[in-house]
Amino acid sequence: GAMRSRAEVDATLQTAKLNPAELLPAVHCLNFAPQAGPGECCLLQLEPGLCAELEAGSSLVIRGEKDEQAVLCSKDKTYDMKIADTSNMLLFIPGCKTPEQLNADQASYDIIHSQIAGFSNNYWELRRCRPKLKKLRKLLMEDPYEGPDSRKDQTLTFSKYTTEDLLSLIQASEEEILHQLQVIDACKIEGYWRILEFDYEMKLLNHVTQLIDSESWSLSKVPLRTCLEELGSLEPTEMIEHTLLSYGRKYVDDAGEVYFEMNEDKICRAIAEMLLKNAVKFNLSEFQEVWQQSVPEGMTARLDQLKGLALVDKTSRPETIFLLKVEDLPEDNQERFNSLFRIREKWTEVDITPYIQDLCAEKQTVGALLTKYARSSTQNGVKVYNSRRPIP
Amino acid sequence: LARSGGAGGLAQWVLVELQGEVEPRQSGELAGSLLGDLHYTREGVPVLIVGHHILYGKVVQLEKPFAVLVKRGAGESGPAGPHTHYTVTALIKTKLLFKTRPKPIITNVPKKA
Repeated sequence: GAMRSRAEVDATLQTAKLNPAELLPAVHCLNFAPQAGPGECCLLQLEPGLCAELEAGSSLVIRGEKDEQAVLCSKDKTYDMKIADTSNMLLFIPGCKTPEQLNADQASYDIIHSQIAGFSNNYWELRRCRPKLKKLRKLLMEDPYEGPDSRKDQTLTFSKYTTEDLLSLIQASEEEILHQLQVIDACKIEGYWRILEFDYEMKLLNHVTQLIDSESWSLSKVPLRTCLEELGSLEPTEMIEHTLLSYGRKYVDDAGEVYFEMNEDKICRAIAEMLLKNAVKFNLSEFQEVWQQSVPEGMTARLDQLKGLALVDKTSRPETIFLLKVEDLPEDNQERFNSLFRIREKWTEVDITPYIQDLCAEKQTVGALLTKYARSSTQNGVKVYNSRRPIP
Repeated sequence: LARSGGAGGLAQWVLVELQGEVEPRQSGELAGSLLGDLHYTREGVPVLIVGHHILYGKVVQLEKPFAVLVKRGAGESGPAGPHTHYTVTALIKTKLLFKTRPKPIITNVPKKA
């Protein structure tokens, strides 16, 4: 229809018995835009910080395949998205001015014809969540790198992922993805992110630890240059360096030489995994003996190094130990607890903590998780946790 | 979600929140039709005249601003398959909340000038 005139606006004011003297001179005549309809536009409620990020020019990305619940990712955080309904009608109006703006503006407005761009009775709410990173490892495990001699890599199998691929498939922010790639010791080979096949990784580690032993180097001062020189004929130098980076802390001395301080806990842990991998369970004391003999000279193998990797069964006679990797367990909270209770009916807090620590949301404690997903009781004077209901 | 380009920053829009539903005056679509006149008193109170009703509201600075997303339809196929693109078109930091019950304008017929 035709746009409203000043005369029509004044007539309406008169009919409404409003005194123009009590009003600001400007009036907004609100019309629905020709294409205005629910569904074209929607509202996203922003958590603190996101507004500033958008204004600074950052993008937000919605990620999720058909079978996944959509998440919103900023540069470094991940949020669950949920629709919130309101009983009210929300209209969004470009170019609508507030009284403050009208008073501050020197230009004198008369009629501002504003178009309502869209309307809705719901909006997306965001809630910060843990990034969904389990899929990252799953994707990279589709085709672990077995070394340059492996015939597998020469065939054109395309279960290989670039950074861009991962960004479009993983429901997490870029920073969270890159950080996780570092945590799982992934490396980039020919532009693709790869995880090393376990046996190949152990083979590389073994080369390094053997060399440290034969050269009698201090475990906290392993020279990069010599490693590459001595081992370069056996394995690609990038792989040697990757092993040192994964199992040591890099530093540079005053002379500019690169050294590594080897990570005792991580090396002992890897060797334990190697030993436990091939048995359903081990006699605990036998295992501890073999394990200590297998770790490099100067290192001490301790059970507390195996948190989240292996579990000791103190109820069996003799005591046994078996491999249980937290990264093999479900990512969803309820499913994680279900699988843990299937493995063992009752858990002490000390035993279960390494297997639920990663479920804690920002500022959430293990205690809070246990209160929510488990029931506590006392057994032989010790507090234990079991499932709230029968496990399917 | 791409940020909509444009000179300078993102556009700032305003949200108007009304109780209940808005229905078209004549039976027909809302699109293109008039909603009403929005005035402000000198004290800054928003006054909305919709049909035969006067609504008084208040200006609220939103604790959690909104982003307005516009759907752009199917995007290019990637390894994840085709996905919908949303573009952030504007930010909303202010809303005009009309919660009071509308006061009916008692009259016969609105005068036309």
